[in-house]
Amino acid sequence: MQNTNENFSFKKYAWAQFKKNKIALVSLYLLLALVIIALFAPYIANDRPLYAVYEGNTLYPAFASDTRTDSIYNAEGNFLQVLQYDITDWRQLDLTSVVWTPIPYSPGSMDRYNRDYAAPSGKQRFKNSEGKIIDIPSKFRHKLGTDGIGRDLASGLIHGTRISLMVGLVSMGIASLIGIILGALAGFFGDTKLKMPRIKYWLTLFGFFMGLFYGFGQRKYILSEAFSEGIGDGMIAMLISVGVVIGITMLFRMLSKAIQFEWLNKEVSVPMDTFVSRGIELLNSIPRLLLIITITAVVERSIWIVMIIIGITGWTGIARFTRAEFLRIRSLEFVQAAESLGYSSIRTIFKHALPNALAPVFVSIAFGIASAILIESGLSFLGIGVPDDIVTWGSLLNLGRQNLEAWWLIIYPGMAIFITITIYNMIAEASRDALDPRLKS
Amino acid sequence: MFKYAIKRILTFIPMLIAISLLSFVISINAPGDPVERLSKAAGNEGSAEQQSGASKKIKQEIRKKLGLDLPIFYLSITDLAASDTLYKVQDKYHKANLEALTHQSGNWEAVSEYYSSLLDLQKAHQQVDAKEIVANDSLLSLNTVNEAANQFGFEIGSLLETSDKTIIPLKFDKMNGLLENHVFLSDLKVPLFNVKQSRENLFINATRWKTYVPAISWYGRKNQYHLWLFGNGKDRKGLLRGDFGISYIDSQPIQSKIWQKVGISFSLSLISIFLAYLISIPIGIYSAYKKDSVADKGMSLVLFVLYSMPSFFVATLLLLQFANPDNLSWFPVSGIQDPTIFDPNWSLWMKLKHRMPFLILPIITYTYSSFAFLSRIMRVGMIDVVSQDYIRTARAKGLGEGKVILKHALRNSLLPVITVFAAIFPMAIGGSIIIEVIFSIPGMGVEVFNSILNYDYPMIITVFTLSGFLTMVGYLVADLLYAVVDPRISYK
Repeated sequence: MQNTNENFSFKKYAWAQFKKNKIALVSLYLLLALVIIALFAPYIANDRPLYAVYEGNTLYPAFASDTRTDSIYNAEGNFLQVLQYDITDWRQLDLTSVVWTPIPYSPGSMDRYNRDYAAPSGKQRFKNSEGKIIDIPSKFRHKLGTDGIGRDLASGLIHGTRISLMVGLVSMGIASLIGIILGALAGFFGDTKLKMPRIKYWLTLFGFFMGLFYGFGQRKYILSEAFSEGIGDGMIAMLISVGVVIGITMLFRMLSKAIQFEWLNKEVSVPMDTFVSRGIELLNSIPRLLLIITITAVVERSIWIVMIIIGITGWTGIARFTRAEFLRIRSLEFVQAAESLGYSSIRTIFKHALPNALAPVFVSIAFGIASAILIESGLSFLGIGVPDDIVTWGSLLNLGRQNLEAWWLIIYPGMAIFITITIYNMIAEASRDALDPRLKS
Repeated sequence: MFKYAIKRILTFIPMLIAISLLSFVISINAPGDPVERLSKAAGNEGSAEQQSGASKKIKQEIRKKLGLDLPIFYLSITDLAASDTLYKVQDKYHKANLEALTHQSGNWEAVSEYYSSLLDLQKAHQQVDAKEIVANDSLLSLNTVNEAANQFGFEIGSLLETSDKTIIPLKFDKMNGLLENHVFLSDLKVPLFNVKQSRENLFINATRWKTYVPAISWYGRKNQYHLWLFGNGKDRKGLLRGDFGISYIDSQPIQSKIWQKVGISFSLSLISIFLAYLISIPIGIYSAYKKDSVADKGMSLVLFVLYSMPSFFVATLLLLQFANPDNLSWFPVSGIQDPTIFDPNWSLWMKLKHRMPFLILPIITYTYSSFAFLSRIMRVGMIDVVSQDYIRTARAKGLGEGKVILKHALRNSLLPVITVFAAIFPMAIGGSIIIEVIFSIPGMGVEVFNSILNYDYPMIITVFTLSGFLTMVGYLVADLLYAVVDPRISYK
């Protein structure tokens, strides 16, 4: 590779390297397909048709909200019936014209004519609009079979894609935020580089403690109230709390400027690296799955909480990589230039150093997503933490384990988990090779 | 070396304290009231009145035994308004409610007055005797009296547990309504009036500013954490002496149930880690030796794919294929022994022979979950070593390739594999939960799983603490081992 080339950019080089790896490229396209499936899940697998004409009324049931209720009048304007979208069985209605979704079942809806593990190619029954039980028309066949209570497996898999992507996104989002910040601070400052007057150091610690008191201790009831309202309100309240902590810490730091004493103003170094490294060591020395299971046992069952816990326990790898990268970068010329220009440490770290440290971090995030998905599916396989009414790949696989005759409940969800994890691992591995030419053997 | 070991062991201690703190924090945040659980497990029967008297006594005993009448930690950081004697309140929900009320009003005296007036009201309510009322007034039926009294009691109960500003007036209104409609409840009028008075007092005498002032109170060694960890020298021996508390399910001490299970899980994971090493080291050596050959590339891809395969999927597939009457029924589906034939007096060999078919599938799964990972590490380590100068020297002086690899390269390439032992160990412990549940192996994993289903928190916390300890010991051993085999470490 010609480095003297005017147009040379590392991104282009890395992308070119990545593209050379055909398997990884295919994985990337598969990931894109998964994202599309997840985004459009309600229009791929849904009880309600995309488009229907009922007694002369044109309806778009799949696009309407769940709770929508319509009064239906026939062509002469006489009232016929009230349709509540989510509980109406659209298959039973006499629709003059209809476009179904590719899989005409919702993940949670139970088809009572195909209970008790209807096999994909076995006999399946159907009740038509005249109320007769017939052999299932191919349009409504459960192509991947059903579970014990008649839920369609294909639909469960499609909607499970959403959960698995969300798990990766949310948990690794949290983990990256924690990991990158802590890793960057530890790597950049090390144990000796962050110096401040003794009084400032003490007041910062004290201010942080006070911040925790006012942000979380004092706001305890506000927070729990907000979380009981919903996860969105809870998150907003949480952000306010974090803001309070930061604000009060800052206030105390500013206060320290007012105090002038010889001994108190002596510079001491803050062992940033020791703090972070000990934290990483501690978290690494606890079996992660067990920690997560133990925490989920004492908190409410919710898929969001599971994601958050996976994120909070999963930042150590990212922090380690960021730290190592910062240890290397901090002695490079451009960082020293930024420092000698008098930029603040925060600006140097996040604006100048961080963009150059992200490449290896990206790799560990990609590996992290794979393991987050693995953990979530393991948890829902055990039925721990994730509520029973949420259909995930892991919970489907668990149904298969309990009834080994329903092989489709084992093979398909298992393959879905396996393929997704492989995709992420492949992308991670290929981008590591592409981003770090030194590692290429 | 010696210095390094000392240093390493010294860092081990704060980690242990941290783990114990973590498990303690999780355990005190467990939902539900342990006293209720345990007194239910004790199973007291009898008539309602007898029961309330007897169960109250039992509950008090349990509370004392668990140390719940003690403060939680050596010190507590609260605000100025909070009471430092709140831990003496018995009922967990009352306690939480009082805390919330104190937070609202900032005046602990007013809150405790309110609380005691509520308790007075409850007492007065309990003295209402439906039979006596009916005997005095023949117009009333026993049912209406009971119903009204019960409703009133219910309102008192919910007042004791709520601090919601919109709900409390509603409760008062309801109680007022009951009093107006039922003359026979008139005995409760005065206490109810007191409750309302003290409720208003909460706001008149509110000192909200106090909730903004932090305060630290010190309790000394008589606290729940100390008791949990060190015991009290009498009935509680403490975690450090192997007393893990009482299971909620059957009120049995946990340590009597757990050790055997730890043994089962531990031996399974050790066997499988050993097997994983046995398989993966040759594979790693071979791939590195034939680096970039078709065999190496193929093997790498296969290992990579296997590495992405969740162990619970593999386990279910194995069951589907080999323990399923529809396919091949080679192995039993679950358990580690057949209770109808198994005889505990058998010799070790007989036991092993009997258990073998039960254990093959689990061991394959266990081994599988670490072997792909290990092989990849081994290969990378080997490639790294083979490109070193001293290997070139060995080749240059005319040593055969086999001798170069097996004698010179292997020893050094094993170093990373040793450290990985520390990483595999927690993986084996964590992963064992899923695998044990799938194959119904009566080890620690199944124990955790069952206790989660039954909300048996002491058991969950015990397993968590134990595996944390064991993992840390694993790390310690790995680190020390590493220092032994790699002399460069000690000079750091």
